[in-house]
Amino acid sequence: MTAPLLEIEDLYAGVDGKEIIKGFNLTINAGEIHAIMGPNGAGKSTLSNVLCGKPGYYVTSGNVRFKGRDLLKLSPEERACEGLFLSMQYPVEIPGVPITSFLKHAVNAIRSYKGEPELDTMEFIKMVKAEGKKLGLDNEMIKRAVNVGFSGGEKKRLETLQMSVLKPSLAILDEADSGLDIDALRVVAEGVNALHNENNALLVITHYQRLLNHIVPDFVHVYADGKIVKTGDKTLALELEEKGYAGFVKEK
Amino acid sequence: MDGLIQDIKLIGEEIPWLKEIRAKGRNAFIKQGIPTPKTEAWKYTKPNRFFETPFSYTPSNLISISSNIKLPFDCYQINFTNGVFNPFTSSLPQGIEVMPIIEAIMFTPKVREKISNIAKVDENPFVALNTGYLNEGVYIHISSNVDIKKPLTIVYETLCTDRNDMYNLRNLIHVEKNSSVQIVEAFYYEGKVKSSYFMNVVNEIYLEENSHLRHYKLQDEAFKSAHIAFNAVKVEDNASYKSFCLQKGADMARNESYVELSEKGAHATVDSAYIMNGWATIDTTTNINHLKPYTTSSQLVKGVVGGQAKGVFQGKIHISPNAVKTEGYQLHKAMLLTDDAEVDVKPELEIFADDVKCSHGSACGELDKEQLFYMQSRGISEDEAKQMLIEAYLNDVIAKVDDEKIIEWIKLSLNSNKSE
Amino acid sequence: MSKENEINLTDASGDKYKYGFVTDIEADTIPCGLNADIIRMISAKKGEPEWLCEWRLKAFEFWQTMKEPSWAKLDYEKIDYQSLSYYSAPKQKVAPKSLEEVDKDLLETYEKLGIPLKEQEVLAGVVAVDAVFDSVSVATTYRAKLAEQGVIFCSISEAVKEHPELVKKYLGSVVPYTDNFYACLNSAVFTDGSFVYIPKGVKCPMELSTYFRINAKNTGQFERTLIIADDDSYVSYLEGCTAPQRDENQLHAAIVEIVVLNNAEVKYSTVQNWYPGDAEGKGGVYNFVTKRAACRGENSKISWTQVETGSAVTWKYPSCVLQGNNSSGEFYSVAITNNKQQADTGTKMIHIGKNTTSKIISKGISAGFSNQTYRGLVKVSPSADNARNYTQCDSLLIGTTCGSHTVPYIENRNKTAQLEHEATTSKISDEQLFYCMSRGIGEEEAVSLIVNGFCKEVMQHLPMEFAIEAAKLINISLEGSVG
Repeated sequence: MTAPLLEIEDLYAGVDGKEIIKGFNLTINAGEIHAIMGPNGAGKSTLSNVLCGKPGYYVTSGNVRFKGRDLLKLSPEERACEGLFLSMQYPVEIPGVPITSFLKHAVNAIRSYKGEPELDTMEFIKMVKAEGKKLGLDNEMIKRAVNVGFSGGEKKRLETLQMSVLKPSLAILDEADSGLDIDALRVVAEGVNALHNENNALLVITHYQRLLNHIVPDFVHVYADGKIVKTGDKTLALELEEKGYAGFVKEK
Repeated sequence: MDGLIQDIKLIGEEIPWLKEIRAKGRNAFIKQGIPTPKTEAWKYTKPNRFFETPFSYTPSNLISISSNIKLPFDCYQINFTNGVFNPFTSSLPQGIEVMPIIEAIMFTPKVREKISNIAKVDENPFVALNTGYLNEGVYIHISSNVDIKKPLTIVYETLCTDRNDMYNLRNLIHVEKNSSVQIVEAFYYEGKVKSSYFMNVVNEIYLEENSHLRHYKLQDEAFKSAHIAFNAVKVEDNASYKSFCLQKGADMARNESYVELSEKGAHATVDSAYIMNGWATIDTTTNINHLKPYTTSSQLVKGVVGGQAKGVFQGKIHISPNAVKTEGYQLHKAMLLTDDAEVDVKPELEIFADDVKCSHGSACGELDKEQLFYMQSRGISEDEAKQMLIEAYLNDVIAKVDDEKIIEWIKLSLNSNKSE
Repeated sequence: MSKENEINLTDASGDKYKYGFVTDIEADTIPCGLNADIIRMISAKKGEPEWLCEWRLKAFEFWQTMKEPSWAKLDYEKIDYQSLSYYSAPKQKVAPKSLEEVDKDLLETYEKLGIPLKEQEVLAGVVAVDAVFDSVSVATTYRAKLAEQGVIFCSISEAVKEHPELVKKYLGSVVPYTDNFYACLNSAVFTDGSFVYIPKGVKCPMELSTYFRINAKNTGQFERTLIIADDDSYVSYLEGCTAPQRDENQLHAAIVEIVVLNNAEVKYSTVQNWYPGDAEGKGGVYNFVTKRAACRGENSKISWTQVETGSAVTWKYPSCVLQGNNSSGEFYSVAITNNKQQADTGTKMIHIGKNTTSKIISKGISAGFSNQTYRGLVKVSPSADNARNYTQCDSLLIGTTCGSHTVPYIENRNKTAQLEHEATTSKISDEQLFYCMSRGIGEEEAVSLIVNGFCKEVMQHLPMEFAIEAAKLINISLEGSVG
């Protein structure tokens, strides 16, 4: 068996001088889908930001290995080039930068990191347009600046489009369903599912169970007070939906 | 400069400190002189034309007519008549102390260090002139941990004479920690509309940690007068200064606010409105200095200019090096009503720190003809419709005042028109 | 040495040493200094008619009564105008013999911009234009093509000789020599520059850049350009080079005058990247330029686009005087300062005619220890009914040691005018940087992406191939400003 894709060992981390993650452990292998569920304010986004190396977030102790490398030593862009992708809860607007040129920079950065040649621009744009169409992003939208003037749902679709173009080994979806109506949710979920195969993995971070009807997890972790307090299969999510988090939080 | 500097014996000459600061003020004034159109800070207002007629300072300790002006809201009221302080009659609550500034200087030497500290004589000739005549005005002191509910009002009434009088008033306002207070200033006149006088007011305001001052002002001076006011404010940790000034009178007027946000969390809101006719020049000048991180400021200034009048707005936001996480916002809007009206605007940003959010905006336009027509087509006379639209235009800035009663008073003042 | 002294001594008394002086010129060892004799010599050397010489002398006389302006937010060592040489081209004296002798940084920049080797040699001053390109034939080809349409495009010296009526009519009519200190100096001593005349009804068949790029001569410190667009004509003029030019001249005081007549349109684009000095702020060009267009005709239109990345000190306000009814002026600017550069730049929009419109889009980026000021004036005269202006000034700061200032003046004397001004100052947000980086884009590349996005509204007004190079140039200017 090959080494796990992601190994998190006894991680302590925080932001703004406040420790939020306290003794977090998780191992993800290729081919798996994991879901982390937890109440609002539990620090779920902190986890995804720490994993992607957002400035301001710090690690006090613990190890994170990604494809066998020490992830914490890498810069955010190196992590991305290694195949880590974060679909953000609140993607930022970048005025004046068209989506296509933004994505082309990203794709070529990753390709050059891997020692692959750059993509032909025409081919690339064709590919982005095709992928966009699947997600209900028409050509006009793709010509616009990154996230500028996008609704919440459109931003989430754009995140998914980026994921499908960048083809990460591990994609973290941080509240990928917020701001989506049920149809949009289905479109995004289908997009994500289509990308999933035995060589990559998904980590779905969510407060609600409904997304997990569409992206079916192999493992569900309940996250509270900075660590995983319970792990189970997809039925755990249903149980959570029914009973709420209160029971689990007390269990610790 | 004829008559502006007179060799008159003022109270307290025997105190060396007072003698020295007055001399410093006079010398600084003589050195700077009256600004000309070439003086960048006054290029639009051109005050020199006003000083072609000589003004004189009359030490008028003779007059002391108590004013019968009564403001339409409940307040503690202080009166100045022709630049002279009227003895205070109503009683004040605990924690608030009001006395003539000259008394404070003579008997409480520690107030001296607060005088001419933020209102510097070398940077503004009228501050210098005012300091040269340091004599009249009030010292307002608010002790720590008090919340004064009723506003404290200062009414400045000028009973017009045939003399070209000059009044130099100097107020010092000191609000200690954790206290809050509202101060209202109202400038009125009585008598001959066409008499000329020169009102020169300097307020130095110190707001200690977590204190809050609401400062509202109405400038309704006589038709031919000059009004120059300089408000220097120092705002410390988490303290806030919120001001609104409506200017509608005088031939030449400037209301200038110089604010130092000197500690973290300090905030200033400096709003103004001006409405004018005739040949007046009304100037609103602000200079907001963000000296420390996490300071915020906001300014909204709106004006309506008719007749052959000229509205001037100069607003500067300065952000010092390292004053990061600051936010400065400024918007000026003006409406011209007539063919000969003019508006000159200079909104300025001076920024030496990168992690800041600053913006300014300015817009000029005229009354919306569609709206006017719509109202007229519903039977409203043109004049009335204009009046309504003007009020509506100024409404948002006036509505930012925190006190309903004061809003009412300001709206009332907007329409009262004894000068025509 | 003694000669120099003599010349200074004879300043007032006139012609005494005139001939001795000529000899000096022929020997190409012009003494430094500025006086009436020098001006006469410049004029004589160029074979100018008497009226032009007189005009120069009047300008010089006026200049002596003027003071160098000090209102701009600029801090530089005072220039000693008597220590400059006003005719010779010092560049040739110190020209490197081969590319190996040229500054490595400069060559790297050419590499990044993808400039052909031959062209690199020209830009770096290794060889004169004539030696590399068959400039005569190139020039002739273009000229013939332009002449077919009646377009006149030549040096201003030639124009003085061949089209004196046009030069006499328009020279100094937009920027009189009394205008400002630098313009006045230029009027007295200008050496050369371009002259363009587009006749009635002609749409200039090519962008005058294509010609200009290879023909750009070292016109020296005091360039003077005059463009006249006659009724119903159109021209797009491109000034400068996208590659930094090696330049030994410390002071540039150029003038550009544009006259736009009925229904005519002129687009004037500039990419300025003179030597900015080193990281310590040593050396570098002082760029004091007066550019102004007069929209004299009805429905006339002028559009300025500038990308300013070079020079140690920039003082420049391309302006539009909107005299004709329905005329319009536009100003699009990107200014980037890094290290110890200083720029005080902006525009003036003077609305005089009815229904005149103007638009200002200014994007300033400061990095390193640089300081940048946007200074602008929008003035609406009582006669300018229905004037419209929209101004947007955005500043971006990179790092904590730079400064950004915005000083707009708005003077409105017409109630029907509608003027809008917006300005913002911000930095590249950490969020935006992180977002790019989390997609695999390196920090420096992310910054340049965001900056290019920030400048986009301006860049799209540049001619296509120029815009691409200008974008690369922006990246180069910002190198080393991150992290």
